[in-house]
Amino acid sequence: MPRVLAPLLVLLATMAAAADDGMARLRASGIMRWGCDISGGAPFAFPDPSDPDRVIGFEVEIAEELAHRLGVRAERFSADWLALIDALEADRCDLLINGFEVTADRERVVAFSTPYFRYAQQLVVRAEDRDRFTSLADLAGRPIAVLNGSASIESLRSAGVPPSLIVEYDDSLAPFTETVIGRVDACLQESFIARFFAGHDPRLAVVDATFDPGVYAVVVRRGDDALLAAVNAALADMRADGTLGRILQRWGLWSDAQRELGTDRGPIVATIPEAIGTPPEDGLPWSLVLWSLARAAAMTALLTIVSMPIATFVGLLLAIAILHGPKPLSRLCHGYVLLTRGTPLLVQIFLLYYSLPALGAWLGIPELLTWNKVVVGIVCLAANYAAYEAEIHRAALQAIPQSQWDAARALGFTRAQTLRFIIVPQSWRLSLPAIINDLNSLIKDSSLVSMIGVQELLAVALGIGKASFAVPSMLVAAAAFYLALSLLADWFGQSLERRARTVGALPEPIHR
Amino acid sequence: MTTPALEAQGISKRWPRTGAVLADCSLRVERRTVHALIGASGSGKSTLLRCLGLLEPPDAGSILVDGVLAVDQGFVAQDRSVRRSVGMVFQEPSLFAHLSALANVALAPHRVLGLDPDAARNRACSALDRVHALHLADRRPDELSGGERQRVAIARALVMEPTVLLCDEPTSALDPLLTREVMAVLRELALDAGTTMVVATHDLDFVAAAADSVDFLHAGRIRMSGTADLLGTRGLDDELDRFLQRS
Repeated sequence: MPRVLAPLLVLLATMAAAADDGMARLRASGIMRWGCDISGGAPFAFPDPSDPDRVIGFEVEIAEELAHRLGVRAERFSADWLALIDALEADRCDLLINGFEVTADRERVVAFSTPYFRYAQQLVVRAEDRDRFTSLADLAGRPIAVLNGSASIESLRSAGVPPSLIVEYDDSLAPFTETVIGRVDACLQESFIARFFAGHDPRLAVVDATFDPGVYAVVVRRGDDALLAAVNAALADMRADGTLGRILQRWGLWSDAQRELGTDRGPIVATIPEAIGTPPEDGLPWSLVLWSLARAAAMTALLTIVSMPIATFVGLLLAIAILHGPKPLSRLCHGYVLLTRGTPLLVQIFLLYYSLPALGAWLGIPELLTWNKVVVGIVCLAANYAAYEAEIHRAALQAIPQSQWDAARALGFTRAQTLRFIIVPQSWRLSLPAIINDLNSLIKDSSLVSMIGVQELLAVALGIGKASFAVPSMLVAAAAFYLALSLLADWFGQSLERRARTVGALPEPIHR
Repeated sequence: MTTPALEAQGISKRWPRTGAVLADCSLRVERRTVHALIGASGSGKSTLLRCLGLLEPPDAGSILVDGVLAVDQGFVAQDRSVRRSVGMVFQEPSLFAHLSALANVALAPHRVLGLDPDAARNRACSALDRVHALHLADRRPDELSGGERQRVAIARALVMEPTVLLCDEPTSALDPLLTREVMAVLRELALDAGTTMVVATHDLDFVAAAADSVDFLHAGRIRMSGTADLLGTRGLDDELDRFLQRS
């Protein structure tokens, strides 16, 4: 995720109105909305490789147990990991359970519960370097890969590794593949992740020594004291009665270090197969996977099919306003086009989604909060593409000769009638190929709304890919779906162009 | 004395960059007559017609259509019924490229006059018939010859039943054969149907055969006025002599 978003965190945090006490809200609604990023990979919260619709993971089980003890139902809220704290501040969810390490930086912004897991940092190197690199000191001057935003970065910094040698990646699997390929010489992450992703891989070796221990805890908004107290009480029970210990054992995460948090191991239970971190033996369950991808492709299609016509129509209105509107309106619309084209779509999606609640409170329209992600996604895509379509329409409108305006004026048409019945039907033909071209880009740009947790094609493909160690084949599968959608769009575009070429034989113009 | 179909007083027009094109032009067109504007290219014929057609606001002067003030002291009236009473045929036919010939003619009756589609079509058919283009009704503009296109454009203007029809060198973009075809239609409209017309043209045969009155424009001024007999004169005016010699 681009770094430019970092200052926005502060902005949004101050914008978000102080929410009602979370505990009162939990009781009233009977629902605990817990935030996580399901594309973050195993074993936290991830799509089950054998049934990609189901989200599993040790944090899913902790969340469910926690909700149960609070007397409410758990409801998962998904968003990009780096956006989760903003989601919490914006009251999109009540708390976060997603491998948030307790750090002084974060404590300035949010409040942490008592910990539920203890980890330590562990190095992974290529198998052939097993004897060469046995500690951080052996890696002096060599690039080391880490997960973006993780505590591993702070560990390396405090060990004196220069920032230029700390290579950050957006997903948890990438540091391992980069190590195998050789772009970096090692990767550093929390020990159980190292075991999960590298333990089974003959090309990698996990360095024995661990260092810089830390803890994960539940994140709540600052000042949400009643909720925090209730969560702490429930966690204390779960630690003491062996429930937490059992969950950690099931997921192969138990170690004696957990006892230091006061966690009781509980009865010994076996590790479940999903926790081992090996690819499914008989390969991916392709029929289920393709079904999941097909439904994700339907989401991508929905985003595109709804937002493109809006963008095309709004773009036309913008172009007409720019060319023929009164000067202030024309300037305003031109400014909108410049601003929208000049800023990243990702930033627009992010800003709109996380500033809506504050905006709703400010405008006195609390319903804005309940706009769901898909609606926000469609609004953003449509608003962004409208700016591009406006320029296409503008060029096409200007390409219609002045003599058409003269002929219409001499017949007594008003300006509005001339545009509607004479100019736009002709400019539409000219702009159509460029608009179909943009329709094709939109199909692919729609993947950016996964930033706010919409489960579209690319997000689902990556989620399944990471959970089942099959990122490349899932990307190829996703690309095939994108290609199919794009071919459909072209076919649709061609039939539109054919229609636009036929001539209106009746007084009714062809495009009304 | 009856109200003239069109009367212009003291029309002046100056383009900001190139300077004066019209200076104090006045003319009077009686009902059911054909008024010809002759003059060399650049003499101001087109600009005068665009002013008379209410497409260009003159800097000064007034225009009355059927006795109604359409332009006063250079300001164009916003009344659409006044605008509709002046029809215009341009050098280029400028047919609406997305519509069939019939729809080109029927669009304004339907959308501007508010006739229902059937009535608009019927009216368009009779207008096309008047220019002998009914058989072209379903053709697209790009399937028509230049002469056919211009005839459809004439029908498109006629269908609104204007008080006066302005034609701005309607054949300047056509070869001689097609010119004859279009001028024949205009002559027929003038002689048989009694349509009031102002025609800017180089076609002196047409002027001799059909025009009731003639204005000779030179350098943005009406230099000579008279009947079609003006074409037969020599020695009245040097510029007119020069123009007639060249044509």
